[in-house]
Amino acid sequence: MKAQQSGPVPSIWSTEGAARLGSGATVTTSHDDGSIDHGVTQAPYERRFSPYDFNGGTCLAIAGKDFAVVAGDTRLSTGYEILSRNVPKLCKLTSKTVLASAGCLTDVRTLQQVLDMRLRMYEHDNGKEISTPAVAQLLGNTLYYRRFFPYYAFNVLAGVDDEGKGCVFSYDAVGSHERVEYSASGSGQAFVIPVMDNIVGFKNRQDPKPEYTAADIVAICKDAFLTAGERDIYTGDAVTISVITAAGVTTETFELKRD
Amino acid sequence: MHAIGTDILDLGKSLRAGGKRGAILPPHAKAEEAGFLLPAVEDPASFCKTNFGVGYGTDQHQELKFAKGTTTLAFKFDGGIVVAVDSRSTQGAYVASGTVKKVIEINPYLLGTMAGGAADCSFWERNLGIQCRLYELRHKERISVAAASKLLANTVMQYRGYGLSMGTMITGWDKTGPQLFYVDNDGMRLKGNLFSVGSGSTYAYGVLDAHYRKDLSADEAIELGRRAIYHATHRDAYSGGIINVYHVQEQGWVKVFSGDCNELHYKYQEEKTARMAM
Repeated sequence: MKAQQSGPVPSIWSTEGAARLGSGATVTTSHDDGSIDHGVTQAPYERRFSPYDFNGGTCLAIAGKDFAVVAGDTRLSTGYEILSRNVPKLCKLTSKTVLASAGCLTDVRTLQQVLDMRLRMYEHDNGKEISTPAVAQLLGNTLYYRRFFPYYAFNVLAGVDDEGKGCVFSYDAVGSHERVEYSASGSGQAFVIPVMDNIVGFKNRQDPKPEYTAADIVAICKDAFLTAGERDIYTGDAVTISVITAAGVTTETFELKRD
Repeated sequence: MHAIGTDILDLGKSLRAGGKRGAILPPHAKAEEAGFLLPAVEDPASFCKTNFGVGYGTDQHQELKFAKGTTTLAFKFDGGIVVAVDSRSTQGAYVASGTVKKVIEINPYLLGTMAGGAADCSFWERNLGIQCRLYELRHKERISVAAASKLLANTVMQYRGYGLSMGTMITGWDKTGPQLFYVDNDGMRLKGNLFSVGSGSTYAYGVLDAHYRKDLSADEAIELGRRAIYHATHRDAYSGGIINVYHVQEQGWVKVFSGDCNELHYKYQEEKTARMAM
C-alpha cells in the first residue's frame, strides 16, 4: 500500500464535509487489488459540522445626487442546486433605507429581524424615524458584536440621508463599514464591481463624467446583473431593484436568464 | 433617559454569563460576560483564532475573510507629530476598498491609526473615544495620551488569544507635550518617537530611517511621511489608494494632505528624471 500526501489540508468548514485526519494531512492509498482507499478505513477521521452555508447571489447599490438605487438577485442556491428562483435579498428597513444582503440566508434573515426590532425600539425611544447614517452605524455594531461567531451576511446598505443626498454603505462580515458611491457584495461582486468602477466611478478615465439620473442608474444596474448572471452560476433568475428618494421607495423586478 | 433594554434580544443566554450588551464593555469583562457570543466548542479562543482570524495569506483556508488595512506610520519631531497612512483594504486578494479612512479621529486632539483588521480597529477605537469622553466628564479635564493608550491596551488584553488583529498608534498632544504610543492586539503598548505598522511598514521604515531628524521643519516632516507611504504603496501589494497625512499640533490635529499615490508616483518620477539629468 502506498501512501502519498496530496494537496493542502482541507478546510474544516467545508460544507461538503471533507474528512480531516488526526495527523492533519490527506492520504490517498491504494489497496493491493487496485481499488482506492480514501484514508477512511486505515486511520480515524473527523467530520465537522459547519453552521455556515453559502446561498449565493449578488447585491449592488449605487448612490446618486438625491436618490439611491439598490438591487439584488432572487436566486437561492446551495452547493450546485437551486432551491428557489424567487427569494429577494432586499429588505426595507425604513421609508428611507433599504438593506441588501447576500450570504447565508438564515443569518441574513436573522440580521434583518434583529435590525428591524432595534429600529422600532429607536422610533419608540426617540419619537422619529432613524436616519440612514445611524442605521449604518447600528448595523456595523450589530455585526461586530458577533465578532467571534460572525453573521455570514455580506451587506450593502442604501438610502437617503437627512440632507436628501443618496448614500450607500459597504460592509465586511464583521462590521467594518464605509460610506461609498457604489458597492456590491456576494458571489458576483468581482464581476460587477469592475463595471461600476468604469461606468459609475469613471476610474482612470480622462473623459468627463456625466451626471446620471435614477433611470440611468437603474439601466446600469440591469446591465450589471446581466453581466454577473452570464459568468456567475449563483446569480440569475430575476433582480429586484429599489429606487429610494426622499419621497419613498419604489421597487421593480427585472427578469434574468434562468440557466 | 431610560431606553428599553437590549436584553430582550439575548437569545441563547447559556453562552453568555449574564452581562449587558451596552456601548461600553467594562475593562474587566471577559468575552462571554461582555455579551460577545462565542461558538459552542471546547476551546473558543483557538477556534476563533483559526477560523475568524485576520491575516495576510494566513486566512486562505477561512470561509470568511475580513477587511484588512496596511501601511501606517507616525513620528514625533520638534513641530509635533506627523501621521501618514494609505487607504487600501483587502479581503484575501480582492481589493475591497481604495478609500478607507485609516486615521481614526477619536476626538479633536487624539488620533488613532488602523492596521490589521479594519472592523477590530474601528470598533475598539470608537469604544476608546467613548471611554475618553467619560473620562473628561468625570475628571473635568482631557485625558492624557498615555492613559488613553493604556485604556485601549487593557481592553484588547481581555480578548487576547481570540484572533483579534489590531496594530494601532495612539497619538496626540497633551499636558506633557506630543506623545506617540503603539498598541497592538496582544496588549503590547510601547511609547516611542517613530513607528510604522502594517504589511508595508518595512518599506516605510527604510525611507523614514534614512531621512528622519528630530529638527525637521513641518513641511519637511509632512513630505517625509508622504514619501514613506508612497514607497510602501509602490512595493507592497496590500497598500495603495489615497495617501492621507495628518499633523498633530498643540491645539489639536489637522489633516494636511490627501492625494492619490498614483499621482505622487508620476510627480516623484519627474523629480527623479530631473535629478538624474543634472
